[in-house]
Amino acid sequence: MEEQVGAFWHRWITRTANRHYPEAAVSLEDNRKQLGIIFRALGGDGGLKIESSYASDHYGHRSLLQRIAGSDKRVNNAWRDDRALLLPPLIDLFADSALNRDLYLWLAMLAATPIREGKYHWIEQNRHNTLLTLQRFPGLQPRYQRLAEAVIALRPPLEKLPSQQQQSEKAIRAAILHPTTASPFPNHPLLSIIPVPLWLVLPPEQQGDQPQQESDKENNPNPTENSPPKEKAAAQRRKAERTENPDGKSGLIALRMETLFSWAEYLKVDRTTDDDEDEDAESRADDLDHLSISRDAETSRSRVKFDLDLPAAEYDDTPLSEGLLYPEWNYKTGQLVKNLCSVIPLLATAAQPCDLPPSLRRSARKVRRQFEALIPSRSWFRGEMEGAEIDLEAFIEFSADQRGQRQGAEPALYRDFRSGNRDLATLLLADLSLSTDSWVNNHSRVIDVIRQSLHLFSDALSHTGDRFALYGFSSRSRDHVRFHQIKTFEEPFNETTRGRIEAIKPGYYTRMGAAIRHATTLLSRQPANRRILLLLTDGKPNDLDLYEGRYGIEDTREAIFEARREGLYPFCVTIDEEGGGYLPHIFGPGGYIVIRRPEELPLRLPRLYAQITQGGE
Amino acid sequence: MAPSLPYYQPHGNEVELFEYAFNSQLPVLIKGPTGCGKTRFITHMAARLGIPLNTVACHDDLTAADLVGRHLIGAGETYWSDGPLTRSVREGGICYLDEVIEARKDTTVVLHPLSDDRRILPLDRTGETLQAPDNFMLVVSYNPGYQNFLKGMKPSTRQRFLSIRFDFPSPELERKILTNESGATADVVKRLVSLGSALRSLKDHDLEEAASTRLLIYAARLIHSGFDPVEACRCSLVEPLTDDLETAAALMEIARATFGR
Repeated sequence: MEEQVGAFWHRWITRTANRHYPEAAVSLEDNRKQLGIIFRALGGDGGLKIESSYASDHYGHRSLLQRIAGSDKRVNNAWRDDRALLLPPLIDLFADSALNRDLYLWLAMLAATPIREGKYHWIEQNRHNTLLTLQRFPGLQPRYQRLAEAVIALRPPLEKLPSQQQQSEKAIRAAILHPTTASPFPNHPLLSIIPVPLWLVLPPEQQGDQPQQESDKENNPNPTENSPPKEKAAAQRRKAERTENPDGKSGLIALRMETLFSWAEYLKVDRTTDDDEDEDAESRADDLDHLSISRDAETSRSRVKFDLDLPAAEYDDTPLSEGLLYPEWNYKTGQLVKNLCSVIPLLATAAQPCDLPPSLRRSARKVRRQFEALIPSRSWFRGEMEGAEIDLEAFIEFSADQRGQRQGAEPALYRDFRSGNRDLATLLLADLSLSTDSWVNNHSRVIDVIRQSLHLFSDALSHTGDRFALYGFSSRSRDHVRFHQIKTFEEPFNETTRGRIEAIKPGYYTRMGAAIRHATTLLSRQPANRRILLLLTDGKPNDLDLYEGRYGIEDTREAIFEARREGLYPFCVTIDEEGGGYLPHIFGPGGYIVIRRPEELPLRLPRLYAQITQGGE
Repeated sequence: MAPSLPYYQPHGNEVELFEYAFNSQLPVLIKGPTGCGKTRFITHMAARLGIPLNTVACHDDLTAADLVGRHLIGAGETYWSDGPLTRSVREGGICYLDEVIEARKDTTVVLHPLSDDRRILPLDRTGETLQAPDNFMLVVSYNPGYQNFLKGMKPSTRQRFLSIRFDFPSPELERKILTNESGATADVVKRLVSLGSALRSLKDHDLEEAASTRLLIYAARLIHSGFDPVEACRCSLVEPLTDDLETAAALMEIARATFGR
């Protein structure tokens, strides 16, 4: 009974105190792409992702009702750091959903304005950026005005605020409504500023350096407890801090001493299952104000995902040469760092020559038939403007037309004997990192799918006569980028190369940039007119060192640019469903394809190749 | 300057360079994104130098015979018909091959003897060898940013030309060009140019091609003749640049932010 009353009271009071409009809510998820484009168009950095921000506490003034209800304690701010632009996952401040959406657009536009050099007050910085944005895009003026008035209307009346807050509140309102005039901000504790949804806040990392109140005056009252947005785990960030891992030597003993040395009855309990993964961890993380993460050598759930030791030399593949040095792009400094990566070409030692696996024979026949259309063959081309011989049929028709006083547009009266010329070379580079060890369905792993793809692809190409080479790569830090040679351009395609395809196995990480650079070098030596660099991967570039996230993506992007400059045509085939976010940045529009069902890859790949190569004829 | 000279706003020394090239009988290659003023520049230069201009728009199926000429079958006989290149060599003037990269590779080889110091055009089929007159000039252009990476110009062809790179003009020059071409007010022109530069920063990431000066001129003309500015941006800037609905919606927001309501 008590619980029921409590629950009822909670529902009633939160609803009464609620100043939000869930029916008019606009979510970030629905607008992410558009906001990204707008952000970039106004000068925002193309490498930044759009992510949803996490909620943080604010100590601004709340109405009595809100305080009773315990709502609106936390807000979702908007800010920009060096990896992403973070916007609230949901905006439901206004009754009009158009206004909620306008607020998103406004935040994206404001975030695109460059940060002014020098140390400015947070309010002054926002006022200045607002002014700059409005000057660049005068058409925003009416929209901004509407938003500003709506935001002011949400703020409590001045006279209801404690007197010491009134002055700062006045200054904030002036800055919102009249961004053209800089007004001095009273030097007054900022602790109690009510969030301003129109403005960006400092990234939390920088807030740490500032007095606590700096983080509290921010924006977007958007309490998670009212309408927790259903976000994908990957799309939402949480506020966390890194703490030191206790060393365990001087720890607090949390059990009574006498039990330590006591005897107990032995119970046969299988304790291993106690160490289950906490399925509810995500929602708990949402509820916690603060997450603490430390680096720990042990994992509680001992699923060892990586195996970092290199095999002993006698078991490892045969290195074909010493490491070849390649540069790497550092986006932070904007420089190509010379000789940073060492690429080691390897040849599988254990590969046994073999035939096409029987399970693939049917698919192979099918693909081969599709490819027959591509086989260049010498034949008579009829109805040509010029050629070795006169096309008699066309000539008779033409003469008849002339007799009949009809004018043929342009007589194509010749025929010619020539070969359809497909002067192209293709290098297929497959990602063999450890992530390919994961299962795509009950029967096969990613690596199996890649292996099948390589089989069918090479089988089809060997029948068309197109020149091709197959390589795989993985990496373990910058000094050991493993570049597996499966088939060079010069080698014939036979049992040996098939055996090497069979021998591919997953290992290590994905340092894509260096592998692409080496592939570029190999491919650009080919004399063909059209050279295609086909990249087959299952995820983002990453490696042990700093090669992850933005760094890896920017380096790969640079490597792709270099390949284009060499006159190559890079194209990426990926089965990473999350790839939509970073792939256009690396490969440009039309430079990649995401295959949603990995098991389709083996059949899709040859067809894709046919499309690519026929497109430019 | 003659009053009939087509309007052209130079960005650098390209006018002088072109004149020197003409006087020294050197062929010229112009590369630049679409709609940045390549064709207008050539038209302007032809008028300025007072020589005729023959333009050939190149396409995938353009053969050497299309350029040079071919035997046609007449009533009971065949006769030779000059192609545009041959005609230009006979008559003098500028022969301008637009988007030369689109033409088949073997086609460009007929340009080789014309583009070095021999300046001849051998016609295999008639046995003639034409010597280009002093006022003949070969000009080719292409768009290097095109997504068609599979095609590139043969280095042996490319190395026969003086090359000029064109790019979109600076905002200041672009405002001048828009005012001149459309007669739109300074305010409209200023807003359009800032919108143009915003859309250009999306190239390679969200858009395949940058918004050209030509499209901005179209928009300015529509607005100048009284069309609603935001709608003018939709049909002259947003829709021509993308087919993707979401991208178009985002571009429209930027247009609204520029002209707003």
